[in-house]
Amino acid sequence: MLYLLMVCLVEMVGISLRLEHKPNYALYTWFLVIECTMISCFFYHLYRKYHHKPSQLYSWLGLFISVFLLELFTNHFSNFAYKTAAFMSVVFVIASLYYYVLILKDEHFRKLETYPPFWIVNGVLFFYFGSTACNVFFDYLLQEKARSLSLSTRYVTFNILNVLLYSCWSYAFICRYRQRN
Amino acid sequence: MQISSKELILLIAIITFIFLIAPLFLIIYIFLYNKKKAKHLEEKEILKKAFELELLKSQVEVQEHILQTIAADLHDNIGQLLSLTSMTLSSIKADHLREEKINTAAELTHRAIKELRQLSKKMNGQELIKKSLGHAIAYELDWLKKGLAYEILFTDNTTHSISAHASKELIMFRLFQEILSNIIKHAQATRIKITIDQTKDVLALFVQDNGKGFILEEKLKASDGLGLTNLQKRTLMMDGNFTINSITGTGTEIQISIPYQ
Repeated sequence: MLYLLMVCLVEMVGISLRLEHKPNYALYTWFLVIECTMISCFFYHLYRKYHHKPSQLYSWLGLFISVFLLELFTNHFSNFAYKTAAFMSVVFVIASLYYYVLILKDEHFRKLETYPPFWIVNGVLFFYFGSTACNVFFDYLLQEKARSLSLSTRYVTFNILNVLLYSCWSYAFICRYRQRN
Repeated sequence: MQISSKELILLIAIITFIFLIAPLFLIIYIFLYNKKKAKHLEEKEILKKAFELELLKSQVEVQEHILQTIAADLHDNIGQLLSLTSMTLSSIKADHLREEKINTAAELTHRAIKELRQLSKKMNGQELIKKSLGHAIAYELDWLKKGLAYEILFTDNTTHSISAHASKELIMFRLFQEILSNIIKHAQATRIKITIDQTKDVLALFVQDNGKGFILEEKLKASDGLGLTNLQKRTLMMDGNFTINSITGTGTEIQISIPYQ
């Protein structure tokens, strides 16, 4: 909940900065750290049932911070850390696929239609797998000459991905709510 | 050949579209696999239950066979020996003092033969059940009345026996014996009420006692609740219903009903 509130706040600040014609890449760059920590903790929570150790989470977060800082120092804090974002996307896609493997291997049966963690992972997979192309071609897309920013390929793609991600998450929350009652 | 920016944008859009379609198919595949897994687990559970039932059936059959063998041995071997002893005793001619002792011994031997025959008959369930379940239960209760002081109320509402269900009746009789044995061992009851009812397609046995009762959940959790579980399993083996109500200090009611048509 707190994470979703932070997402809303960051989006609102990002939009207002854009409307004021000020660069907002720094905001989204630093938000990457929160995003990565949150999603990583979520995956760790899922894997914990299958006896995964906390050291794996700390190692991954350590690696992420290293790559993140390296990129920031390399581009002198002047651009969005898109390489780190691409790297993070690839790792989360692999994490999602690994979760599917664990589900398939698990002898315990779960009704996946209403299993909240499964739908959260679905959302994560759609978002990060779908954003791979945009992350890879980030530099090129920045120079795209669209009629307006809201019609740029990157903007439209991320809007669709956001709708998919938050639809899946909303459905997961509804399932969880129904199970609790 | 150089790719124009428009083409590249289109290419990125197509790649993104493919990258969205791929997880969709993956999720559909996982759903289908999960459904197969559910079906497999269901089949596994059915097989497990069928195996347990088969095992229980074999156990019951083996137990019945052993009882029959013991009953036959008692009747044919020990019974014959006792008959011979009785004949020998009656053929002895002795003086007045010894004759009295020999007569007492002969009388005791007669009683032993009688008891032995009754015991042998009681053990041989198939023989006992031949007439009807009601007859077998009445015989068992006669045996009980001899040794212990219980107020026994037995009502037999059966109308007819179906020979095709003889094995079911036999299992029902064994269940009754186990319930009765439990009452004698644990209930501290003074009154036992037994009723057998027969409707068009159901045969029901109802046993009620005024013993000390117990808390069913505790009994089932504890290791000594195994007897109740066995009763339940054997009833299920006949596709029947097993219900038990027990109130501490008031007594216990057990009802077993099986399809009988």
